[in-house]
Amino acid sequence: MRRAASRKADAPATVYRVRRYYAVALIAGLALLLFLTLARTPYVRSALETPDKKIDVVGWMWAWDFQADGQSVGHPLVLPARKLVEFAVTSKDVNHGFGIYDPDGRLVAQTQAMPGYVNHLRVRFEEPGTYHVLCLEYCGAAHTIMMAEISVQ
Amino acid sequence: MSARAETREPAARDQRLVATWLTTMLAVFLLMVVLGITMRLSQGAVVSLSFPDFYAIMTMHGLGMAGSLFAAGIAMVWFVAARYARPSRAAMWIAYALFVAGAVALLVATLVGKFAAGWYALYPLPFLKATWPSWATGATIIALMAMGLAWLVAQLDILRALAAEYGIGRMFAWDRFRRQDGAPVPAAVLIASVCAVAGILGTIVGAATLMMYLFKWFAPATEFDPLLLKNSMFMFGHTIVNVAMYCGICVIYELMPGFTGRPWKVTRTVVLAWNATLLFILFAYFHHLYMDFAQPLALQVLGQIASYGSAVPATAVTVFGLGSQIHRSGLRWSFVPAAFTLGILGWVLGGITAVVDSTIAVNLVFHNTLWVPAHFHTYFLVGYVLILLGFLFQLLRSGAERLAKVGLAVMVAGGYTFVLMFFLGGMDSVPRRFATYQTIPYPWLVERATELAKWGAGAGSVFLVGALIFCVSLVLGRRRSANPDE
Repeated sequence: MRRAASRKADAPATVYRVRRYYAVALIAGLALLLFLTLARTPYVRSALETPDKKIDVVGWMWAWDFQADGQSVGHPLVLPARKLVEFAVTSKDVNHGFGIYDPDGRLVAQTQAMPGYVNHLRVRFEEPGTYHVLCLEYCGAAHTIMMAEISVQ
Repeated sequence: MSARAETREPAARDQRLVATWLTTMLAVFLLMVVLGITMRLSQGAVVSLSFPDFYAIMTMHGLGMAGSLFAAGIAMVWFVAARYARPSRAAMWIAYALFVAGAVALLVATLVGKFAAGWYALYPLPFLKATWPSWATGATIIALMAMGLAWLVAQLDILRALAAEYGIGRMFAWDRFRRQDGAPVPAAVLIASVCAVAGILGTIVGAATLMMYLFKWFAPATEFDPLLLKNSMFMFGHTIVNVAMYCGICVIYELMPGFTGRPWKVTRTVVLAWNATLLFILFAYFHHLYMDFAQPLALQVLGQIASYGSAVPATAVTVFGLGSQIHRSGLRWSFVPAAFTLGILGWVLGGITAVVDSTIAVNLVFHNTLWVPAHFHTYFLVGYVLILLGFLFQLLRSGAERLAKVGLAVMVAGGYTFVLMFFLGGMDSVPRRFATYQTIPYPWLVERATELAKWGAGAGSVFLVGALIFCVSLVLGRRRSANPDE
């Protein structure tokens, strides 16, 4: 291996001089980011409010079933706009991903559908229109066709 | 404990051993690149793959890439360890044989048996309503166990050798906090120790998970907790993938001073950063489970803090260290330092975009979109892989500098274009792990995702051409150095 022994053995002092500022700025930036973003997690958002509507969601290879008060409500699921809706999401076979896309095709909220567990996702649909649920967790050969429709009015 | 801290050049037999590992891993890597391009071609509607075929390829691609790159990382760390301590060649050859046997079995299970549960084979998918035969599930589990055993044998031996040379405390440079006057442990030894411990813990958790899978395969009536197994599978997968990256960084700390003529200083900041990385890396995997709201809130918050804590300090001190290595050093930008520096750049960019996604509020709309493959392809394809190729070039003492640089430039151009397509897809909410985009109920998104996939396939092919040019430079460079009169 080449050795550059004749070169200056140490980096110039200027490099090390900036180190303190670099470290302080980095730690302060990280702390600020943690503070700002942890307050906006989906778990605490709307946690203190009472949902206007509750929907049970069961995922299975390869479809979504929506239920209200223990009864299947069929497709598309009709929901009110600007009301807080709580989805209680589970699976009866493998892991699925419950991803809600808005009428423009943008992902707005998601949670996992897992056998043996129920995940509670609260969503307020601000705009009326047709939303879609896509499976966002690989769940077998027909994963890409596992979807459902939500009509927000 | 020996006082020896001098570097020694590993024996020719050591070099042959590591070169054999790395050229094997390079061959596996190139095959996996071809599989990756095939997937993007299918998503781009250029070729037509059946769903079972696509997902079998996806499974092999994920397992093959993570497995071979991690194995390459272990071989690089072994090389570094062999410069300071005496790891066992026999253990390393046994590990190599186990790894190759596992890799061959995995190729058969996925490409012939069509096992297609994804690299992480989330429980209980491998055992339910499968489109593949049961033997393919069993063969995959056993193949992964063989590879895991290979990693474990190699890493335990590296750890043993370093501990025998330095002692447990000094391996992690803890003596720096006690104001000891002795020479600090070399920076690469500190990182090698971090890699070995984190890698061993991750591998053990993976082995335990695979044992449960094997039990389920033998006795299908057995039931396990899906959330527990999701935790253990991600702890294993996330940890080894990140440790692979740190193995590359270990090599840079070791070899870069040879080009700049400056030692890589082991300051207290460096020691603190890498010890923090060792601690945090074991908890960062929780960011894979943010969308499992049933997981206790404290673990979700810990996931974000640990993700920042594992990614940022190591990156910060390495970038600072690299800057102080290069700044006014008169460094000649030959292939190896160029590949190392570009590799660090890719690692940092991939790391920053990973930290973005490890933020819970962002993860809500980025989780399982193309943003995820975007960031890990960035730190692997245009990060770690460039470091690996730089190391291989140095190890084989190739002389074909110019051709290797051409290959590097082509790989960088192709690689960054390739990952950019993933990032753009992620920002547009394109879901990952979709065999086809034609089923998405938004025409603009179908068109956009398909177009990005086509560009991705093209850019991936450019990367492959660059990698092949690099391979030619290795062969020609070897021949030239063997026949200097030519």
